[in-house]
Amino acid sequence: MPAPLNKRSRFAFPGLWKGMWFTLKYLFTPVPTVMYPQEQEIPVPRARGVIALDPEACTVCMLCARECPDWCIYIEGHKEPKAPSKPGGRARTQNELDRFEIDYSLCMYCGICVEVCPFDALYWSPEYEYSTYEVADLIHGKTRLKDWLETVPEPPALEPQGESS
Amino acid sequence: MSDEYRAMMHRSEVAVSVELQTQDMTLNIGPQHPSTHGVLRLVAQVDGERITSVEPVIGYMHRGYEKLAEVRSYAQMTALVNRIDWVSGFASEVPFIVAVEKLMGIEAPERAQWIRLILTELFRISSHMVFTSSYPLELGATTPLFHVLRERERVLELIEGMTGGRFHPNFNRVGGIKPAAGGGKTQKKVSMDIPEGWLDATRATMERVMLSTHQSDTLVTGNELFKARTVGVGVIPGDKAVEYGLSGPNLRASGVAYDLRKHEYHLPYDQVDFDVISAPGGDCYDRYWVRLQEIRESVKIVLQAIDKIPDGPLRAKAPRVLKVPKGQIYVRGENPKGEFGYYLISEGGQKPYRLKIRSTSFSNLSILPWVLKGALVPDLVAVMGSLDFVLGDVDR
Repeated sequence: MPAPLNKRSRFAFPGLWKGMWFTLKYLFTPVPTVMYPQEQEIPVPRARGVIALDPEACTVCMLCARECPDWCIYIEGHKEPKAPSKPGGRARTQNELDRFEIDYSLCMYCGICVEVCPFDALYWSPEYEYSTYEVADLIHGKTRLKDWLETVPEPPALEPQGESS
Repeated sequence: MSDEYRAMMHRSEVAVSVELQTQDMTLNIGPQHPSTHGVLRLVAQVDGERITSVEPVIGYMHRGYEKLAEVRSYAQMTALVNRIDWVSGFASEVPFIVAVEKLMGIEAPERAQWIRLILTELFRISSHMVFTSSYPLELGATTPLFHVLRERERVLELIEGMTGGRFHPNFNRVGGIKPAAGGGKTQKKVSMDIPEGWLDATRATMERVMLSTHQSDTLVTGNELFKARTVGVGVIPGDKAVEYGLSGPNLRASGVAYDLRKHEYHLPYDQVDFDVISAPGGDCYDRYWVRLQEIRESVKIVLQAIDKIPDGPLRAKAPRVLKVPKGQIYVRGENPKGEFGYYLISEGGQKPYRLKIRSTSFSNLSILPWVLKGALVPDLVAVMGSLDFVLGDVDR
């Protein structure tokens, strides 16, 4: 059984007036709402917004594609002969990246690919404005992923005490 | 009033009560209802306004995590487990990682453990704030939602500043916390330690959170309408709560002061001073009150922890390719919603052989048919909301 309201509170409703006073007080405080298209929030440097690719650093080792929990990275590459480093040396081959695509409609932004990359080819960028009208446009190719590279921020400074000390 | 009229009234009342010998009606609620925190379907037998029996139909959000664990590596599973209960992702990440660490015989360094503790408590604050804001909304009060969620946003900003993710931090690694942004030569030097100014920001935010709990006190806790809807509604006695396997704030609101942070912890909870909140009533109001007080206790823990956090490494030595030795283990931890456990069986490979997830909300939901029996239909939402379950956690 619900608690019966006593006679005084049934008509006076002190809670109602308390709430109204509270609302009135907040009528005159600044609004925390960010009016999004006009003004934008600046994300923290560590924010996981979009993954940037440095195609020159990529060696088509496929580690990121293999470690991705939902397999949203598509990589294709081929071997290309490379001139020997010293004259008279042995001709070598180098892996060339043909296709590197991240399907952002599948990506769950866990960051495992960035973490496992042994050649510093993948970075996190806090950019977030890349929504599209078509699902297919969410597949970002090599050139698009390279464009994100210039938005990658410097890592934030750390507290003086910590791992390094 | 004449005698004739009185006799007529009596006859008509008899006629009405005879005519209204009706059958019970089956009322189907859901699967999509804004107040159900997900997709839950309730099949209720109602006799007028009284519910005679109710049966929750679950499984609409089944994503097969237990099976998925058998085909995913441990590192991939870490990213997936914080999606089971998405309101408190970090708190369900920690027991899984501790289970793997215990099987491998690794212990995380002290600094990593304290950072885990701080983040767990921040997620507890965030999860309880979702409850204290959305529960009055379910009862018809819109104002507290905005005032509480505004402050919760500050907590989420803290979490994002530290881990990079607002909801799904994926910050735990076997042997510690996330060591670096990348594995390569330059990115390896990027440490994911506490960023500059984060501790001061935490102190400031905790003050605002405390202020927000006082605001909740003003707006909700003493409100007559809120009390009329919740006091004495959906009473769960302590013995019934234990029988049905309730845990967390739902159990503590029934008078059983049982908190895994005091009894079985794998984070340094013994070095911080906090109280286990419990209330004797077991009704919806007590379940709300316990959660509101737990925000304050969590604030206390966070403020102590950021003063006590030691220097040192963030990660113990762990192999790059995780191979967990043969064995089995059950590790549980105090999620904001209650006991969250993982039963992990490893056959020695890179993947778990079997991962049984003891999710909190599933057990907390199981008392719903018992507690709703004989309740009124308008109380259904009040009782359901007070149990604070997340459907992703129920179905996993």
